[in-house]
Amino acid sequence: MKLMQRTNLSADGINKSFSRPGEHDPLKVLEDIHFEIREGEFVSILGPSGCGKSTFLNILAGFEPADSGHAACCGEHIRDPSPERAVVFQSPVLFPWLNVKDNILYGLKLRKDVRNEAEEIASEYIRAVGLDGFWDYYPSQLSGGMQQRTALARALVLRPKVLLMDEPFAALDAQTRYSMQQLLLGLWENYRHTIVFITHDVEEALLLSDRICIMSKRPGRMIEEIAVPFERPRPLSLTGTQEFSMLKGHILGRLMD
Amino acid sequence: MTVSNWKMDYIGFVLPALIFTAWYLVTLEGGVPAYLIPSPSNLVRVAVDFATGHANLTPYAGTLLVHTLASVQRVAMGFGLAVAVGLPLGFLTGRMSLAKNSLDPTVHLIRIIPGIGWLPIAIVWFGVGENTTLFLISLAAFFPIYVNAAQGASSVPPLLIRAGRMLGANKLMIFTTVIIPASMPSTLAGLRLGLGISWAYLVLGELTGVTCGLGAVMMDARMLGHVEMILVSMIFIGLFGRISDMILVGSFKRLDLLREENKE
Repeated sequence: MKLMQRTNLSADGINKSFSRPGEHDPLKVLEDIHFEIREGEFVSILGPSGCGKSTFLNILAGFEPADSGHAACCGEHIRDPSPERAVVFQSPVLFPWLNVKDNILYGLKLRKDVRNEAEEIASEYIRAVGLDGFWDYYPSQLSGGMQQRTALARALVLRPKVLLMDEPFAALDAQTRYSMQQLLLGLWENYRHTIVFITHDVEEALLLSDRICIMSKRPGRMIEEIAVPFERPRPLSLTGTQEFSMLKGHILGRLMD
Repeated sequence: MTVSNWKMDYIGFVLPALIFTAWYLVTLEGGVPAYLIPSPSNLVRVAVDFATGHANLTPYAGTLLVHTLASVQRVAMGFGLAVAVGLPLGFLTGRMSLAKNSLDPTVHLIRIIPGIGWLPIAIVWFGVGENTTLFLISLAAFFPIYVNAAQGASSVPPLLIRAGRMLGANKLMIFTTVIIPASMPSTLAGLRLGLGISWAYLVLGELTGVTCGLGAVMMDARMLGHVEMILVSMIFIGLFGRISDMILVGSFKRLDLLREENKE
């Protein structure tokens, strides 16, 4: 069944280096990365900090070009950012001069095809992320978790082919992070978005994703791919089971390599 | 309002009250003569007469409106011109290295010359009066507007621009819907500075020979020995300068362009 689904995003042989000020040889960040994600899949890219996973996401988003290799979304070569590959950043990066509703409407208003239904779609997602009654609040009046909900809604309303999430919950406190994870899972089960989720948190990756791609320390390479064996829904109590701990231990071991 | 806030407000009135008392005391019989410092009560009477013309205390009785309109019009035109040129050039300089490299060095070189230093050449070019005043106002107000708009536009967080791009904005939309609103706090600071400077250069221009305007009244009153009119004109200039600043800030708040500063 899964094999029949089309590939929404793929990367082949991606290499990336950064020139360093004052040093002759460039810093190699990504080495020969291969990656693909099918429609409706939830894949985490897990790696130690500084391994280049955010750089890889930036390449997928079209923010930065790869030095070599090929990245494509639904068969089209990735050159520029596009609402087809909406991004949720680690910090919310909302427009502070727009209220919640206008932040969420921002991308919809730029499109001709949905302009008439824009308000309707926006209200649907405001409800879906649990921001009912907050649509006229400005970002500075919201908590970090609510700001990130707004950022999530603003990306989802565009119905992206792939949702790229760059450690979206890393800056939140444990409780808020857990409720955001539950929210994201609920949305994903409803709408079946295709999600690339960058994280350095092993438990988070195991609770959320279908598949985990493990990256090595810099220069980042894909060193292992794990299909997460746990059935959904995955309750928090799953983290206490032996199977979970063993898999977690194995992944931690690979991250240390 | 908390108690400490109330106290703070109260403290703000102490200094003016002291100055006012001292002023009143020195103008009593046997103090400083009235041709140097008029008494507060005399000043108020002349000011009211300037506005209404009911008592004909000075040759300027009832002419406040005429002079104010002349001055406000000059400020509006000079400041308007500075905004029309300064804002677009500032935004461009802030975002495009071509604009920055070609404009910035020259602008900063010219900026070093004090505005007053342009007065003689302005009189040569535009003659005494109206056009010289407009030229001085626009020139002096241009620099803070340009510099602050450029500063605001160049310091827009790159992540905000990325957010706009991934949401589907093209270059032009990024400019109008991200860069300009994000640089508003700095831009408004520049506009306020520019507006303040406009009033300063209005007075300079009007001192040099126009018949109408608050600055002209000051110079004229000095020659005719109406010291109280000099002070009254100064007070009205300060008042109108403050009001124009409040209108500027108020209209920005109205337009919701200042959300970042407006945290509640």
